[in-house]
Amino acid sequence: MDATTAMYVSQAIHGIAYGMILFLIASGLNIIFGMMGVLNLAHASFFMLSGYFCYQVLKLTGNFWLALLIAPLVTAIFGIVVERVFLRRMHAFGHLGELMLTVGISLVILAGVKFFWGTESLPIPVPEALQGLIKIFGLEYPIYRLFVIGLSLVVLLLMVLVLYKTRLGMIVRAAVSDRDMVNALGINIPLVFMVVFGIGCWLAGIAGVAIAPILTVFPGLADQVGMDAFIVVVTGGIGSLGGAFIVAIIFGFLSSFGIQFVSQLAPVLMVGFMALVLIIRPHGLFGVEE
Amino acid sequence: MYILETKDLNHDFSGLKVLFGVNLQVKHGERHAIIGPNGAGKTTLFNCITGTYKPSSGKVLFKGMDITGRTPHELTRMGIGRSFQITTIFMNLTVFQNVRLAVLSKRGIRFNLFRFVDKMKDITEETEEILRRVNLIEERDFPASALSYGKTRALEVALAFATDPELVLLDEFTAGMSRDETHAAVELVRKLTEGKTAVLIEHDMDVVFSLADRITVLHYGRIIASGTPEEVRSNQDVKDAYLGDLEV
Amino acid sequence: MKDKITKISLWLMVAMFLLAYPKLFGMYYVNLFVTFMVFAVFSLSFNMLLGFTGLLSFGHAIFFGISGYGTALALRHIEGIPLFPAIGLGVLAAVILAVVLCPVVVRVTGTAFAMVHLAFGQLMYVLALKLRNITGGEDGIGNFPIPNVSLFGLFSFPLKNNPVNFYYFALVILGICTWLMWFFTKTPFGQIQVGIRDNTKRIDYLGFKVPESKSVIYVTSAFFAGVAGSIYGLFHNLVSADGSLNVLVSFTAITATLIGGIGSFFGPIWGTAIFQILEELTIRFTEQVELVTGIIMIIVIMYAPRGFTGFLATLKLKWQLSRAKRRG
Repeated sequence: MDATTAMYVSQAIHGIAYGMILFLIASGLNIIFGMMGVLNLAHASFFMLSGYFCYQVLKLTGNFWLALLIAPLVTAIFGIVVERVFLRRMHAFGHLGELMLTVGISLVILAGVKFFWGTESLPIPVPEALQGLIKIFGLEYPIYRLFVIGLSLVVLLLMVLVLYKTRLGMIVRAAVSDRDMVNALGINIPLVFMVVFGIGCWLAGIAGVAIAPILTVFPGLADQVGMDAFIVVVTGGIGSLGGAFIVAIIFGFLSSFGIQFVSQLAPVLMVGFMALVLIIRPHGLFGVEE
Repeated sequence: MYILETKDLNHDFSGLKVLFGVNLQVKHGERHAIIGPNGAGKTTLFNCITGTYKPSSGKVLFKGMDITGRTPHELTRMGIGRSFQITTIFMNLTVFQNVRLAVLSKRGIRFNLFRFVDKMKDITEETEEILRRVNLIEERDFPASALSYGKTRALEVALAFATDPELVLLDEFTAGMSRDETHAAVELVRKLTEGKTAVLIEHDMDVVFSLADRITVLHYGRIIASGTPEEVRSNQDVKDAYLGDLEV
Repeated sequence: MKDKITKISLWLMVAMFLLAYPKLFGMYYVNLFVTFMVFAVFSLSFNMLLGFTGLLSFGHAIFFGISGYGTALALRHIEGIPLFPAIGLGVLAAVILAVVLCPVVVRVTGTAFAMVHLAFGQLMYVLALKLRNITGGEDGIGNFPIPNVSLFGLFSFPLKNNPVNFYYFALVILGICTWLMWFFTKTPFGQIQVGIRDNTKRIDYLGFKVPESKSVIYVTSAFFAGVAGSIYGLFHNLVSADGSLNVLVSFTAITATLIGGIGSFFGPIWGTAIFQILEELTIRFTEQVELVTGIIMIIVIMYAPRGFTGFLATLKLKWQLSRAKRRG
């Protein structure tokens, strides 16, 4: 195995890992959008918040696995509270209010993390078991990236099970494909909204913990990764899970190989790809008109 | 010579067939009612004629001209007006502003950015004239959202007529009205359709028989009868189809 | 008649206040007022889309920014170009961008419209950062020459390093823009515009071309955003990606419009003023500008969804009702 191939493989792993993280965030955004008709612009803030929760749990216990369990859960609970206290009351006033409300919430979260954790970037150590490289077929892989991919796949599998094997999943799928169905199904909408919002935030939370050892945790994290996730959602088509998956992986590759070959212009590649898609299909690759 | 004709019109929604070879014929100057049970495809037929949908196959002719697949604004400019079953008005504008938009369109004032619209006297006068005809002059400066249900429907109908079309299609203009409101609406439509051709979708048989010159019966996407009220009333197919659902 | 006199004297008082403003307040407040005027016009142009056409954009800064860059580049690279052609070139860039985007954006509404703009905004922002040779990267384009204001040689006065002159210059240009935008809403086309917001389907069925109408509004809005952006660049003698193209610039307009009230023409002006006053006060007492902005947004959206002007209208209505009651 020569060095060039090794480099390609390693970049591909990086790309897939980042793509999977983007997809975790984007899928949360999409199920919330499908259910409630609102693009949750605070979503990236929940993702960042989970990174901070992870930092806090690590500081207290030093156990990464505990952090992986607790931080997303706390994030989900936090999200549910936000949904109950703020978003629910706004539902009657139309989407503009809800959309801007989520912007306000993201600003408050940003101020909150700066207040509690400062503006420094906080390093999160890769857990010992996952440090270093592993050799498979004569190629070296960074273990943690592989772990991120594996974790995302497990979560993805879990999500597919919930979506296709449970009543909740059926409702969510119906709602995502046709929002009017929500009203027609005669379900307990407030409860379902709450659960779906919670799950969406949990997914963002998992992503937040998974990315923390790679990027560290800092107040700009929400903007940096969040913007990519929003771009994934828009390019894939708002509300389309399959579209988000494909685009997230493409973006992961664009990002990792872009940095390798045209490091200065890597961000341009992503937004350029998105602009191209939107010019041809303004509703995104797999989006449908509202 | 028919003013409106559809030739073998078919329409389906991703596989679900709604119209099966509909041949509708509307004569100049008549009031033509389209009746049929719910789900018969009446509104879909309207949507195919007025450009909301492009029919899957078949032709729509207006004064002998092929208008299949033309957009709503083109058809309006050619002289076709339309009212909707679900009220389609400008809720945050006043009644006057609602009708004035139609008057502006009729006069071809579209991209005028050089005058105060409030100071265009002839437009104001014509709008008020229409408001008087449809009995909305007293509500002139009400926001449309503040109107009673009956008045909302009157405004809906007024918008269909305000561009002064040759042909109007009215989709259940009496939907949801009380007896009194229905009576007033029928008289209004009778007055407004004078000298025009009108196609009405209607459920209320009293309204149909008091207004329509001819009737077409649509049943599961097919025309099963068409003719004068008497002919339709005595048609065996119609009686069979309705199975006494409606007292025809 | 009496109403008219009151109105005219009110406007005269406002005009006199604005003329005397630099004499009454110090340099700091003169500059603050110029910033206010720029963002008021920018927010008004944004509200042409949101309030009057029902289109929410998360990337209105693209027009603000591209025009700023256009003007700065013209002044830097075209030897001896007078001021107004330089501004004109910047605004032209904004208009061309809008014309190019039109075929895409008139096809989408709602969330998709907002997000498509977020995306294009991000594209422009990244390009401005990365195309260093043209845009100067993170530093932007600064300290470019600013010619004197002159019109056919009739008069000429300097703007560079002269805040008071700049104040009057901005006052005239942005005042004219405000009046033009207000006039726009009063024309027949302005009626079609609100019609599109209220019921696009009916506008179509009344015989108006919806995509073409939207395009006209969109390009007009970009034009005025461009004027504001160009003036802003001149004011700071600096155009940068973070100052003019950042998504936060777009959100400034959204926040100001929401606080002021989207339903009214003058709402964004009120909103910009309130937002700026609050920001000034906040900076004095706390570092937590985001927290205050966020909380204000949440409060306004939840408790005064029609913004300040909506709040005023409700007060007026209540007052009229109570007066009517007292009279019997």
